[in-house]
Amino acid sequence: MSTISIENIYTAYDKADVLLGVSLTVAPGTITCLLGSNGAGKSTIIRSILGLTPPRAGSIKINGREIVGLPTHRVIAEGVACIPEGRRMFPKLTVEENLRLGAFQVKDDGLIRRRLADVYETFPRLAERRDQLAGTMSGGEQAMVSIGRGLMGGPTVLLIDEPSLGLSPLFVKENFKIIERIRDQGITVFLVEQNVHQTLAIADYGYVMSGGRLVAQGTAEELKKNPEVHAAYFGNVTQTS
Amino acid sequence: MDIGLLGQYLANGIMLGTMYALVAVGFTLFFGVLDVIKFSHGDVLMLGAFTGFTVYLGMAGIGIENPWVLVVFVTLSAVIGTAFIGAVIARYLVLPLKSAPPLNILLITLMLGTAIREAVRLFFPDGSNPKPFPSLLPSSSVELGNFSLRADSAILVGVGLAVIVGLHLLINRTRLGLAIRAVAQDEETAKTMGINYTMIVLVTFAIGSGAAAFAGTMNGLYYNEINFGMGLLLGLIGFSAAIIGGLGNLYGAILGGFLFAGLQTVGAVALPFASAYKDVFAFAVVIALMAWKPTGLIAERTSDRV
Repeated sequence: MSTISIENIYTAYDKADVLLGVSLTVAPGTITCLLGSNGAGKSTIIRSILGLTPPRAGSIKINGREIVGLPTHRVIAEGVACIPEGRRMFPKLTVEENLRLGAFQVKDDGLIRRRLADVYETFPRLAERRDQLAGTMSGGEQAMVSIGRGLMGGPTVLLIDEPSLGLSPLFVKENFKIIERIRDQGITVFLVEQNVHQTLAIADYGYVMSGGRLVAQGTAEELKKNPEVHAAYFGNVTQTS
Repeated sequence: MDIGLLGQYLANGIMLGTMYALVAVGFTLFFGVLDVIKFSHGDVLMLGAFTGFTVYLGMAGIGIENPWVLVVFVTLSAVIGTAFIGAVIARYLVLPLKSAPPLNILLITLMLGTAIREAVRLFFPDGSNPKPFPSLLPSSSVELGNFSLRADSAILVGVGLAVIVGLHLLINRTRLGLAIRAVAQDEETAKTMGINYTMIVLVTFAIGSGAAAFAGTMNGLYYNEINFGMGLLLGLIGFSAAIIGGLGNLYGAILGGFLFAGLQTVGAVALPFASAYKDVFAFAVVIALMAWKPTGLIAERTSDRV
């Protein structure tokens, strides 16, 4: 059974359809990526899954359970977590409060403390700054909080939206390594990105989107070799490969 | 002026400040979670006072005379009943209008306030006349020169301040408070943390309305009189207090409440004209403050609201 199974969804903002019949599946334990240029509708898929902009037609199943029509907190209860585009810190909350919000639905206080300790072990810098307001941190540090927050709920599937946006190349590299490690822990990752090369380097399977439709799919190896995909959607990126 | 009289004014000012702060906290909480100004807040306060008064009449009617039992039940039923009404208003009036222009919500809550006020005036028995709110607290007093501290005042201020401290702890130290602050800062991200947004909005409106009902009951117990229009001025003062403090900021609302009471007291005591002008003086200073600091004394940093 697929971890995420999307069937023929149409999603609209103000009556104008942005997704035009998208179907895709994310296999358990994989990094499955969704590539495409700006405005292709990638983030809308994430918003559709989360119930922030519910699709007007079609079906989305998480581990076999239909979630279209559920409010966002019920989708999260199905084991979904999200690392949103632009990090989306709560700027006036401390680092630790931000992290604790990631575990908002976890009732076991001991489990929350263990996960906090795990996050602080992965990012020692956050341990030093646990009482600092998140809004006063650098972009890289906020990215750490955002990743840590996404793991605090112990998700089975993690949606990651444009993690490399606005980060330095060094940090982007570090981020992609962390995403691989998250998959190796058994968490299924659905990764939305514009950064083709680094994404395909860690992904198991991928989809390519344009104008609200899927235009290509395949294993990362197949997509790397697909000249059409490169020429049509990523312009001169082909020259560097 | 002698120390005793000064103490008297100070005690009165603290009493008023506590009431105003409790009203202002509601305005600031509603604005925080939903970005709305709810102008029916003062009339919800009045409804709280009348709820308490009705419960008193009922209990007295069946022969309960112990003033402590009465005051506890009157206050609790006012707070709980009004909290429920606040949640209902949020669910059926404010939330459905969430994406409407702010001006519409302002108008609609203004009209709701009028409807509540008129309903009490018309449907409460002899509702257009002031009602004698019972004095349920001991009125013995300690005399210190010219200063007499009445037990009922001391109890009201003590419990009122305890409620304010309790609200502070609720917002800043509990899981519920964390969720409220998260929703206030970023509604969408709060939802993706697994927070039940609708529930948090309803609970916030219940808390704010309950605090207003407490202030209304305090007002009744202190002045021993309530009337259908009492929410107009108290609501306006609470709103002004929240604005001078910086709308959306809990401490700002508390500070604003005490500041307004301080201005009224100064207006009544230290200025050369009659004390009837104390509200004119206080509001004039508020206008001047707003001109000087348009975003309030504790400004919400605009960069946080991106």
